[in-house]
Amino acid sequence: MLCERCKKNNATVFYRESINGKERSLSLCEECADKARKNGELETDLLNDGFFSEPLGGVDKLFGSLFGFPQLVGHKSAPEKKCSLCGATFRDLMSEGKAGCPECYRTFSDELSSTISRIHGTTSHTGGAPSRFKADRDLKDKIKSLEKGIKAAVDEENYEEAARLRDELRAIRAEKGDETK
Amino acid sequence: MKWYENTGRDHDVIVSSRVRLARNLVDYPFGNRLDDTSKKEIIAKVKDALCDGKKYTFRDFASLSETERIAAAEEHTVSPEFARGTGPRALIESADGSSFVMVLEEDHVRIQTITPGFSLDEAFDKAREIDQKLDSKLNIAYDEKLGYLTHCPTNLGTGMRASVMMFLPGTARSGSVRNLSNQLGKIGLTIRGMAGEGSSADGCLFQISNQVTLGVSEEETIAKLTKITERLIEQERALRKKMFEQDPDALTDRVMRAYGTMLYAALIDTEELFRLYSDVRLGVSLGVIDCVTAEQLDRILIGCMPAVLMRDNENVRDARSRDKARAETVRRLLSGPEGKN
Ligand SMILES: [Zn+2]
Ligand SMILES: [Zn+2]
Repeated sequence: MLCERCKKNNATVFYRESINGKERSLSLCEECADKARKNGELETDLLNDGFFSEPLGGVDKLFGSLFGFPQLVGHKSAPEKKCSLCGATFRDLMSEGKAGCPECYRTFSDELSSTISRIHGTTSHTGGAPSRFKADRDLKDKIKSLEKGIKAAVDEENYEEAARLRDELRAIRAEKGDETK
Repeated sequence: MKWYENTGRDHDVIVSSRVRLARNLVDYPFGNRLDDTSKKEIIAKVKDALCDGKKYTFRDFASLSETERIAAAEEHTVSPEFARGTGPRALIESADGSSFVMVLEEDHVRIQTITPGFSLDEAFDKAREIDQKLDSKLNIAYDEKLGYLTHCPTNLGTGMRASVMMFLPGTARSGSVRNLSNQLGKIGLTIRGMAGEGSSADGCLFQISNQVTLGVSEEETIAKLTKITERLIEQERALRKKMFEQDPDALTDRVMRAYGTMLYAALIDTEELFRLYSDVRLGVSLGVIDCVTAEQLDRILIGCMPAVLMRDNENVRDARSRDKARAETVRRLLSGPEGKN
Protein backbone atom coordinates (compact mmCIF):
# COMPACT_ATOMS: atom_id res chain seq x y z
CA MET A 1 0.00 0.00 0.00
CA LEU A 2 1.38 3.39 -1.02
CA CYS A 3 1.46 6.48 1.16
CA GLU A 4 -1.55 8.57 0.23
CA ARG A 5 0.40 11.82 0.47
CA CYS A 6 3.59 11.33 -1.54
CA LYS A 7 2.40 8.23 -3.39
CA LYS A 8 6.07 7.10 -3.52
CA ASN A 9 6.94 5.35 -0.28
CA ASN A 10 5.14 2.46 1.29
CA ALA A 11 2.60 3.46 3.91
CA THR A 12 3.71 2.19 7.29
CA VAL A 13 1.80 4.49 9.61
CA PHE A 14 -1.92 4.05 9.73
CA TYR A 15 -4.14 6.44 11.54
CA ARG A 16 -7.64 5.66 12.41
CA GLU A 17 -9.88 7.74 14.57
CA SER A 18 -13.42 7.07 15.52
CA ILE A 19 -15.51 9.50 17.49
CA ASN A 20 -18.82 8.02 18.53
CA GLY A 21 -18.96 5.89 15.45
CA LYS A 22 -17.69 8.38 12.86
CA GLU A 23 -14.50 7.07 11.34
CA ARG A 24 -11.62 8.69 9.54
CA SER A 25 -8.44 7.02 8.39
CA LEU A 26 -5.12 7.87 6.78
CA SER A 27 -2.23 5.76 5.51
CA LEU A 28 1.13 7.49 5.40
CA CYS A 29 4.82 6.75 5.10
CA GLU A 30 6.99 7.66 8.10
CA GLU A 31 8.25 10.83 6.45
CA CYS A 32 4.84 12.20 5.57
CA ALA A 33 3.55 11.21 8.99
CA ASP A 34 6.42 13.12 10.57
CA LYS A 35 5.60 16.19 8.52
CA ALA A 36 1.92 15.98 9.36
CA ARG A 37 2.73 15.46 13.01
CA LYS A 38 5.00 18.49 13.13
CA ASN A 39 2.75 21.01 11.46
CA GLY A 40 -0.26 19.78 13.36
CA GLU A 41 -2.48 19.38 10.34
CA LEU A 42 -3.27 15.89 11.50
CA GLU A 43 -5.91 15.92 14.15
CA THR A 44 -5.58 12.18 14.23
CA ASP A 45 -2.10 11.11 15.07
CA LEU A 46 -0.21 9.22 17.66
CA LEU A 47 -0.35 12.18 19.99
CA ASN A 48 -4.03 12.54 19.83
CA ASP A 49 -5.69 9.86 21.87
CA GLY A 50 -8.83 11.88 22.35
CA PHE A 51 -8.25 13.10 25.88
CA PHE A 52 -7.38 16.63 24.95
CA SER A 53 -9.69 17.06 21.98
CA GLU A 54 -12.75 19.14 22.40
CA PRO A 55 -15.98 17.21 22.62
CA LEU A 56 -18.48 17.33 19.76
CA GLY A 57 -15.60 17.70 17.27
CA GLY A 58 -14.75 20.96 15.51
CA VAL A 59 -16.09 23.30 18.14
CA ASP A 60 -15.45 26.38 16.05
CA LYS A 61 -17.77 25.22 13.35
CA LEU A 62 -20.32 24.17 15.87
CA PHE A 63 -20.15 27.42 17.73
CA GLY A 64 -20.48 29.42 14.55
CA SER A 65 -23.50 27.52 13.37
CA LEU A 66 -25.13 27.66 16.76
CA PHE A 67 -24.63 31.37 16.77
CA GLY A 68 -26.14 32.12 13.42
CA PHE A 69 -29.26 33.77 14.80
CA PRO A 70 -31.01 36.19 12.48
CA GLN A 71 -31.67 38.85 15.14
CA LEU A 72 -27.94 39.40 15.47
CA VAL A 73 -27.55 40.71 11.98
CA GLY A 74 -29.95 43.60 12.44
CA HIS A 75 -29.73 46.61 14.80
CA LYS A 76 -27.09 48.32 12.72
CA SER A 77 -28.03 51.75 14.01
CA ALA A 78 -27.48 50.85 17.67
CA PRO A 79 -23.85 50.97 18.90
CA GLU A 80 -22.48 47.47 19.27
CA LYS A 81 -22.19 46.22 22.84
CA LYS A 82 -18.60 45.58 23.91
CA CYS A 83 -17.19 43.53 26.77
CA SER A 84 -15.79 45.95 29.35
CA LEU A 85 -12.73 43.80 30.07
CA CYS A 86 -11.57 42.55 26.68
CA GLY A 87 -13.45 44.77 24.25
CA ALA A 88 -14.91 41.87 22.28
CA THR A 89 -18.28 42.24 20.58
CA PHE A 90 -20.72 39.40 20.21
CA ARG A 91 -19.80 39.34 16.54
CA ASP A 92 -16.19 38.61 17.61
CA LEU A 93 -17.36 35.72 19.78
CA MET A 94 -19.32 34.38 16.86
CA SER A 95 -16.43 34.42 14.46
CA GLU A 96 -13.90 33.12 17.00
CA GLY A 97 -16.19 30.45 18.40
CA LYS A 98 -14.95 31.20 21.89
CA ALA A 99 -15.30 33.79 24.62
CA GLY A 100 -12.85 36.72 24.69
CA CYS A 101 -12.44 36.70 28.47
CA PRO A 102 -14.29 35.47 31.58
CA GLU A 103 -16.30 38.70 31.71
CA CYS A 104 -17.75 38.04 28.23
CA TYR A 105 -20.05 35.43 29.78
CA ARG A 106 -21.68 38.14 31.90
CA THR A 107 -21.66 40.80 29.19
CA PHE A 108 -23.31 38.50 26.67
CA SER A 109 -25.23 36.24 29.02
CA ASP A 110 -28.53 36.65 27.16
CA GLU A 111 -27.00 36.11 23.74
CA LEU A 112 -25.05 33.06 24.92
CA SER A 113 -27.65 31.23 26.94
CA SER A 114 -29.25 29.30 24.09
CA THR A 115 -25.85 28.23 22.75
CA ILE A 116 -24.78 27.00 26.17
CA SER A 117 -28.01 25.19 26.68
CA ARG A 118 -27.65 23.50 23.30
CA ILE A 119 -24.15 22.28 24.17
CA HIS A 120 -24.86 21.10 27.71
CA GLY A 121 -28.61 20.66 27.92
CA THR A 122 -28.71 23.13 30.81
CA THR A 123 -27.39 26.54 31.83
CA SER A 124 -27.02 25.87 35.52
CA HIS A 125 -23.85 24.64 37.22
CA THR A 126 -23.75 21.95 39.91
CA GLY A 127 -20.54 21.11 41.73
CA GLY A 128 -17.30 22.70 42.85
CA ALA A 129 -16.62 26.39 43.37
CA PRO A 130 -13.68 28.60 44.36
CA SER A 131 -13.49 29.17 48.11
CA ARG A 132 -14.85 32.72 47.87
CA PHE A 133 -18.11 31.28 46.47
CA LYS A 134 -18.03 28.03 48.37
CA ALA A 135 -20.26 28.82 51.39
CA ASP A 136 -23.02 30.12 49.16
CA ARG A 137 -22.70 27.19 46.79
CA ASP A 138 -22.82 24.64 49.61
CA LEU A 139 -25.95 26.29 51.01
CA LYS A 140 -27.66 26.14 47.62
CA ASP A 141 -26.69 22.49 47.19
CA LYS A 142 -27.96 21.75 50.72
CA ILE A 143 -31.32 23.40 50.00
CA LYS A 144 -31.58 21.48 46.75
CA SER A 145 -30.93 18.17 48.48
CA LEU A 146 -33.37 18.93 51.30
CA GLU A 147 -36.08 19.75 48.78
CA LYS A 148 -35.38 16.46 47.03
CA GLY A 149 -35.47 14.64 50.39
CA ILE A 150 -38.82 16.17 51.34
CA LYS A 151 -40.33 15.13 48.04
CA ALA A 152 -39.00 11.60 48.41
CA ALA A 153 -40.27 11.35 52.00
CA VAL A 154 -43.74 12.53 50.96
CA ASP A 155 -43.78 10.04 48.09
CA GLU A 156 -42.99 7.29 50.56
CA GLU A 157 -45.67 8.67 52.91
CA ASN A 158 -43.02 9.14 55.56
CA TYR A 159 -44.55 12.36 56.86
CA GLU A 160 -42.54 12.44 60.05
CA GLU A 161 -39.30 12.53 58.06
CA ALA A 162 -40.75 15.09 55.65
CA ALA A 163 -41.68 17.37 58.57
CA ARG A 164 -38.22 17.05 60.06
CA LEU A 165 -36.55 17.97 56.75
CA ARG A 166 -38.98 20.84 56.26
CA ASP A 167 -37.99 22.27 59.65
CA GLU A 168 -34.36 22.00 58.69
CA LEU A 169 -35.00 23.75 55.40
CA ARG A 170 -36.96 26.50 57.14
CA ALA A 171 -34.12 27.05 59.60
CA ILE A 172 -31.60 27.37 56.77
CA ARG A 173 -33.82 29.79 54.87
CA ALA A 174 -34.39 31.89 57.99
CA GLU A 175 -30.68 32.10 58.58
CA LYS A 176 -30.14 33.13 54.99
CA GLY A 177 -32.81 35.81 55.45
CA ASP A 178 -34.86 34.31 52.67
CA GLU A 179 -38.47 33.73 53.82
CA THR A 180 -40.01 33.39 50.40
CA LYS A 181 -41.83 30.18 49.48
CA MET B 1 9.05 8.19 38.22
CA LYS B 2 6.62 8.42 35.32
CA TRP B 3 2.99 7.43 35.42
CA TYR B 4 3.57 4.54 33.03
CA GLU B 5 6.24 3.02 35.23
CA ASN B 6 3.72 2.13 37.93
CA THR B 7 1.20 -0.64 38.15
CA GLY B 8 -2.50 -0.12 38.78
CA ARG B 9 -5.86 -1.75 39.45
CA ASP B 10 -7.52 -3.67 36.60
CA HIS B 11 -4.43 -3.11 34.51
CA ASP B 12 -5.38 -5.96 32.18
CA VAL B 13 -8.09 -3.67 30.75
CA ILE B 14 -7.36 -0.14 31.97
CA VAL B 15 -4.10 1.50 30.90
CA SER B 16 -4.56 4.80 32.72
CA SER B 17 -7.05 7.13 34.37
CA ARG B 18 -7.03 10.87 33.81
CA VAL B 19 -8.67 14.01 35.07
CA ARG B 20 -8.38 17.51 33.65
CA LEU B 21 -9.60 20.79 35.15
CA ALA B 22 -9.79 24.00 33.10
CA ARG B 23 -9.22 27.16 35.14
CA ASN B 24 -8.79 30.85 34.33
CA LEU B 25 -7.79 33.95 36.21
CA VAL B 26 -10.22 36.85 36.50
CA ASP B 27 -9.03 40.13 34.93
CA TYR B 28 -7.20 38.51 32.01
CA PRO B 29 -8.55 37.89 28.52
CA PHE B 30 -8.25 34.52 26.78
CA GLY B 31 -6.09 33.21 23.96
CA ASN B 32 -5.03 35.61 21.24
CA ARG B 33 -6.33 38.61 23.21
CA LEU B 34 -3.45 38.11 25.66
CA ASP B 35 -0.24 40.01 24.95
CA ASP B 36 3.15 38.61 25.94
CA THR B 37 3.36 40.84 29.01
CA SER B 38 0.07 39.48 30.36
CA LYS B 39 1.13 35.96 29.49
CA LYS B 40 4.31 36.37 31.51
CA GLU B 41 2.31 37.79 34.42
CA ILE B 42 -0.02 34.78 34.38
CA ILE B 43 2.92 32.37 34.26
CA ALA B 44 4.56 34.16 37.22
CA LYS B 45 1.35 34.13 39.26
CA VAL B 46 0.69 30.43 38.72
CA LYS B 47 4.30 29.62 39.43
CA ASP B 48 4.18 31.57 42.71
CA ALA B 49 0.96 29.85 43.72
CA LEU B 50 2.20 26.31 43.14
CA CYS B 51 5.98 26.21 43.31
CA ASP B 52 6.54 27.17 46.93
CA GLY B 53 8.20 23.95 47.95
CA LYS B 54 9.79 20.88 46.42
CA LYS B 55 6.55 19.23 45.39
CA TYR B 56 6.10 21.06 42.08
CA THR B 57 8.78 21.92 39.57
CA PHE B 58 8.54 24.66 36.98
CA ARG B 59 9.65 24.43 33.37
CA ASP B 60 9.66 27.13 30.73
CA PHE B 61 8.00 24.99 28.09
CA ALA B 62 8.68 27.41 25.23
CA SER B 63 12.43 26.95 25.72
CA LEU B 64 12.34 23.18 25.13
CA SER B 65 13.34 21.70 21.78
CA GLU B 66 10.61 20.58 19.42
CA THR B 67 11.51 16.94 20.02
CA GLU B 68 11.20 17.36 23.77
CA ARG B 69 7.86 19.08 23.43
CA ILE B 70 6.40 16.48 21.08
CA ALA B 71 7.79 13.69 23.27
CA ALA B 72 5.94 15.17 26.26
CA ALA B 73 2.73 14.95 24.25
CA GLU B 74 3.50 11.34 23.33
CA GLU B 75 3.91 10.59 27.02
CA HIS B 76 0.43 12.11 27.51
CA THR B 77 1.75 14.74 29.89
CA VAL B 78 0.76 17.70 27.69
CA SER B 79 -1.73 18.14 24.87
CA PRO B 80 -0.57 18.09 21.23
CA GLU B 81 -1.75 21.69 20.85
CA PHE B 82 0.40 22.75 23.79
CA ALA B 83 3.39 20.88 22.38
CA ARG B 84 3.10 22.57 18.99
CA GLY B 85 2.03 25.99 20.22
CA THR B 86 4.02 29.19 20.19
CA GLY B 87 4.57 32.05 22.63
CA PRO B 88 5.25 32.06 26.37
CA ARG B 89 3.93 28.99 28.16
CA ALA B 90 4.97 26.85 31.09
CA LEU B 91 4.61 23.35 32.46
CA ILE B 92 4.51 22.64 36.19
CA GLU B 93 4.97 19.01 37.21
CA SER B 94 4.47 17.22 40.50
CA ALA B 95 7.39 15.28 41.93
CA ASP B 96 5.44 12.00 41.83
CA GLY B 97 5.08 12.31 38.04
CA SER B 98 1.28 12.18 38.09
CA SER B 99 0.24 15.81 37.82
CA PHE B 100 0.92 18.35 35.09
CA VAL B 101 -0.21 21.93 34.97
CA MET B 102 -0.17 23.51 31.54
CA VAL B 103 -0.04 27.28 31.82
CA LEU B 104 -1.42 29.07 28.74
CA GLU B 105 -2.83 26.19 26.82
CA GLU B 106 -6.36 26.97 25.58
CA ASP B 107 -7.25 28.14 29.09
CA HIS B 108 -4.92 30.06 31.38
CA VAL B 109 -4.44 26.93 33.46
CA ARG B 110 -5.12 23.30 32.68
CA ILE B 111 -4.53 20.93 35.55
CA GLN B 112 -4.21 17.37 34.42
CA THR B 113 -3.45 14.21 36.31
CA ILE B 114 -2.71 10.75 35.03
CA THR B 115 -2.53 7.62 37.16
CA PRO B 116 -1.96 4.00 36.11
CA GLY B 117 -4.79 1.48 35.85
CA PHE B 118 -8.33 2.10 37.06
CA SER B 119 -7.79 4.95 39.51
CA LEU B 120 -10.20 7.79 38.71
CA ASP B 121 -10.67 8.76 42.36
CA GLU B 122 -6.94 9.05 42.85
CA ALA B 123 -6.55 11.12 39.69
CA PHE B 124 -9.41 13.39 40.79
CA ASP B 125 -7.99 13.84 44.30
CA LYS B 126 -4.64 14.88 42.89
CA ALA B 127 -6.25 17.36 40.51
CA ARG B 128 -8.37 18.79 43.32
CA GLU B 129 -5.30 19.24 45.50
CA ILE B 130 -3.71 21.49 42.87
CA ASP B 131 -6.99 23.25 42.24
CA GLN B 132 -7.32 24.14 45.93
CA LYS B 133 -3.75 25.35 46.08
CA LEU B 134 -4.36 27.64 43.11
CA ASP B 135 -7.65 28.83 44.56
CA SER B 136 -6.06 29.76 47.86
CA LYS B 137 -3.66 32.15 46.11
CA LEU B 138 -5.47 33.37 43.01
CA ASN B 139 -8.88 34.64 41.96
CA ILE B 140 -10.27 31.97 39.68
CA ALA B 141 -12.92 33.03 37.15
CA TYR B 142 -16.28 31.67 38.21
CA ASP B 143 -19.94 32.49 37.83
CA GLU B 144 -22.61 31.28 40.22
CA LYS B 145 -24.83 30.15 37.40
CA LEU B 146 -22.30 28.93 34.81
CA GLY B 147 -19.62 27.58 37.15
CA TYR B 148 -15.97 27.84 36.14
CA LEU B 149 -15.60 30.19 33.18
CA THR B 150 -13.56 28.77 30.32
CA HIS B 151 -12.32 29.95 26.96
CA CYS B 152 -14.58 27.55 25.11
CA PRO B 153 -18.19 27.24 26.30
CA THR B 154 -18.00 23.44 25.93
CA ASN B 155 -15.99 23.35 29.19
CA LEU B 156 -18.19 25.62 31.33
CA GLY B 157 -19.38 24.32 34.68
CA THR B 158 -16.89 21.99 36.30
CA GLY B 159 -14.30 22.48 33.57
CA MET B 160 -13.55 18.84 34.18
CA ARG B 161 -12.85 16.00 31.88
CA ALA B 162 -12.42 12.56 33.40
CA SER B 163 -11.35 9.64 31.29
CA VAL B 164 -10.03 6.10 31.24
CA MET B 165 -7.84 4.65 28.54
CA MET B 166 -9.02 1.12 27.92
CA PHE B 167 -7.36 -1.79 26.15
CA LEU B 168 -10.29 -3.56 24.47
CA PRO B 169 -9.14 -6.25 22.01
CA GLY B 170 -12.06 -8.52 22.88
CA THR B 171 -14.68 -5.82 22.46
CA ALA B 172 -13.06 -4.51 19.29
CA ARG B 173 -12.83 -7.92 17.62
CA SER B 174 -16.38 -8.84 18.55
CA GLY B 175 -17.44 -5.83 16.47
CA SER B 176 -19.46 -4.18 19.23
CA VAL B 177 -17.58 -0.88 19.44
CA ARG B 178 -19.99 0.95 17.16
CA ASN B 179 -22.89 -0.20 19.26
CA LEU B 180 -21.05 0.85 22.38
CA SER B 181 -20.42 4.30 20.87
CA ASN B 182 -24.13 4.86 20.43
CA GLN B 183 -24.94 3.74 23.94
CA LEU B 184 -22.27 5.90 25.52
CA GLY B 185 -23.27 8.91 23.41
CA LYS B 186 -26.78 8.73 24.82
CA ILE B 187 -25.55 9.06 28.40
CA GLY B 188 -23.14 11.93 27.75
CA LEU B 189 -19.93 9.90 27.39
CA THR B 190 -17.60 9.77 24.41
CA ILE B 191 -15.50 6.86 23.17
CA ARG B 192 -12.58 7.51 20.85
CA GLY B 193 -10.42 4.94 19.18
CA MET B 194 -6.78 5.70 19.64
CA ALA B 195 -4.74 5.99 16.49
CA GLY B 196 -1.74 3.97 15.46
CA GLU B 197 -3.31 0.74 14.37
CA GLY B 198 -2.70 -0.88 11.06
CA SER B 199 -5.07 -2.45 8.63
CA SER B 200 -3.96 -5.87 9.87
CA ALA B 201 -5.44 -5.45 13.31
CA ASP B 202 -8.39 -3.60 14.74
CA GLY B 203 -7.71 -0.70 17.05
CA CYS B 204 -7.56 -1.86 20.65
CA LEU B 205 -6.97 1.30 22.66
CA PHE B 206 -9.94 3.47 23.47
CA GLN B 207 -10.43 6.60 25.46
CA ILE B 208 -13.74 6.98 27.26
CA SER B 209 -14.59 10.33 28.78
CA ASN B 210 -17.41 12.65 29.81
CA GLN B 211 -18.73 15.13 27.30
CA VAL B 212 -20.89 17.39 29.43
CA THR B 213 -19.44 19.66 32.13
CA LEU B 214 -22.39 21.86 33.05
CA GLY B 215 -25.14 20.71 35.40
CA VAL B 216 -23.31 17.56 36.49
CA SER B 217 -21.05 17.70 39.53
CA GLU B 218 -17.49 16.38 39.58
CA GLU B 219 -18.49 13.49 41.85
CA GLU B 220 -21.46 12.53 39.68
CA THR B 221 -19.27 12.58 36.58
CA ILE B 222 -16.64 10.33 38.18
CA ALA B 223 -19.33 8.00 39.57
CA LYS B 224 -21.01 7.62 36.19
CA LEU B 225 -17.76 6.97 34.38
CA THR B 226 -16.68 4.49 37.07
CA LYS B 227 -19.91 2.55 36.82
CA ILE B 228 -19.77 2.27 33.04
CA THR B 229 -16.08 1.36 33.11
CA GLU B 230 -16.70 -1.46 35.58
CA ARG B 231 -19.31 -2.89 33.25
CA LEU B 232 -17.02 -2.60 30.23
CA ILE B 233 -14.19 -4.31 32.12
CA GLU B 234 -16.38 -7.30 32.89
CA GLN B 235 -17.67 -7.46 29.33
CA GLU B 236 -14.15 -7.24 27.91
CA ARG B 237 -12.85 -10.04 30.13
CA ALA B 238 -15.73 -12.30 29.10
CA LEU B 239 -15.14 -11.57 25.40
CA ARG B 240 -11.41 -12.27 25.69
CA LYS B 241 -12.11 -15.59 27.37
CA LYS B 242 -14.60 -16.50 24.66
CA MET B 243 -12.12 -15.52 21.94
CA PHE B 244 -9.47 -17.73 23.53
CA GLU B 245 -11.76 -20.71 23.96
CA GLN B 246 -12.86 -20.60 20.31
CA ASP B 247 -9.34 -21.42 19.15
CA PRO B 248 -6.71 -21.56 21.91
CA ASP B 249 -3.94 -22.75 19.59
CA ALA B 250 -4.40 -19.95 17.07
CA LEU B 251 -4.45 -17.31 19.76
CA THR B 252 -1.42 -18.75 21.54
CA ASP B 253 0.41 -18.86 18.22
CA ARG B 254 -0.34 -15.22 17.52
CA VAL B 255 0.77 -14.13 20.98
CA MET B 256 4.01 -16.11 20.93
CA ARG B 257 4.91 -14.99 17.42
CA ALA B 258 4.42 -11.38 18.49
CA TYR B 259 6.57 -11.96 21.54
CA GLY B 260 9.23 -13.64 19.44
CA THR B 261 9.30 -10.64 17.12
CA MET B 262 9.66 -8.31 20.08
CA LEU B 263 12.63 -10.32 21.30
CA TYR B 264 14.46 -10.76 18.02
CA ALA B 265 13.43 -8.20 15.40
CA ALA B 266 16.08 -5.70 14.28
CA LEU B 267 13.67 -3.12 12.84
CA ILE B 268 10.20 -2.32 14.16
CA ASP B 269 8.01 0.47 12.82
CA THR B 270 5.21 2.19 14.70
CA GLU B 271 2.42 0.21 13.14
CA GLU B 272 4.07 -3.11 13.90
CA LEU B 273 4.74 -2.04 17.45
CA PHE B 274 1.05 -1.37 18.04
CA ARG B 275 0.16 -4.80 16.71
CA LEU B 276 2.83 -6.56 18.80
CA TYR B 277 1.75 -4.59 21.85
CA SER B 278 -1.89 -5.59 21.38
CA ASP B 279 -1.20 -9.27 20.78
CA VAL B 280 1.23 -9.72 23.66
CA ARG B 281 -0.84 -7.64 26.09
CA LEU B 282 -3.84 -9.82 25.28
CA GLY B 283 -1.73 -12.94 25.82
CA VAL B 284 -0.58 -11.69 29.22
CA SER B 285 -4.13 -11.11 30.42
CA LEU B 286 -5.19 -14.60 29.32
CA GLY B 287 -2.21 -16.24 30.99
CA VAL B 288 -0.87 -17.45 27.63
CA ILE B 289 2.44 -15.81 28.42
CA ASP B 290 3.86 -14.88 31.82
CA CYS B 291 7.39 -13.62 31.20
CA VAL B 292 6.23 -10.06 30.60
CA THR B 293 3.68 -7.79 32.31
CA ALA B 294 1.03 -5.37 31.03
CA GLU B 295 2.89 -2.51 32.76
CA GLN B 296 6.09 -3.40 30.93
CA LEU B 297 4.22 -3.37 27.63
CA ASP B 298 2.67 0.04 28.32
CA ARG B 299 6.12 1.32 29.08
CA ILE B 300 7.41 -0.11 25.81
CA LEU B 301 4.59 1.47 23.83
CA ILE B 302 5.26 4.95 25.22
CA GLY B 303 9.04 4.54 25.24
CA CYS B 304 8.92 3.70 21.52
CA MET B 305 6.85 6.64 20.34
CA PRO B 306 8.69 8.50 17.56
CA ALA B 307 9.70 11.68 19.42
CA VAL B 308 10.38 9.87 22.70
CA LEU B 309 12.81 7.64 20.81
CA MET B 310 14.41 10.64 19.19
CA ARG B 311 14.76 12.41 22.54
CA ASP B 312 16.24 9.39 24.30
CA ASN B 313 18.57 8.14 21.54
CA GLU B 314 21.16 10.46 20.05
CA ASN B 315 21.71 8.27 17.01
CA VAL B 316 18.17 8.50 15.66
CA ARG B 317 18.29 10.61 12.50
CA ASP B 318 15.70 9.19 10.13
CA ALA B 319 12.87 6.68 9.89
CA ARG B 320 15.27 3.73 9.44
CA SER B 321 17.50 4.51 12.40
CA ARG B 322 14.39 5.11 14.46
CA ASP B 323 13.00 1.67 13.61
CA LYS B 324 16.32 0.23 14.71
CA ALA B 325 16.29 2.18 17.97
CA ARG B 326 12.71 1.08 18.51
CA ALA B 327 13.62 -2.61 18.16
CA GLU B 328 16.53 -2.12 20.57
CA THR B 329 14.35 -0.28 23.08
CA VAL B 330 11.72 -3.03 22.97
CA ARG B 331 14.41 -5.63 23.68
CA ARG B 332 15.97 -3.58 26.45
CA LEU B 333 12.67 -2.91 28.21
CA LEU B 334 11.66 -6.58 27.91
CA SER B 335 14.78 -7.66 29.75
CA GLY B 336 14.71 -4.69 32.12
CA PRO B 337 14.53 -4.92 35.91
CA GLU B 338 10.86 -5.93 35.74
CA GLY B 339 11.47 -8.65 33.15
CA LYS B 340 11.92 -12.25 34.15
CA ASN B 341 14.09 -13.40 31.27
ZN1 LIG C 1 4.62 9.69 2.04
ZN1 LIG D 1 -14.62 39.82 27.38
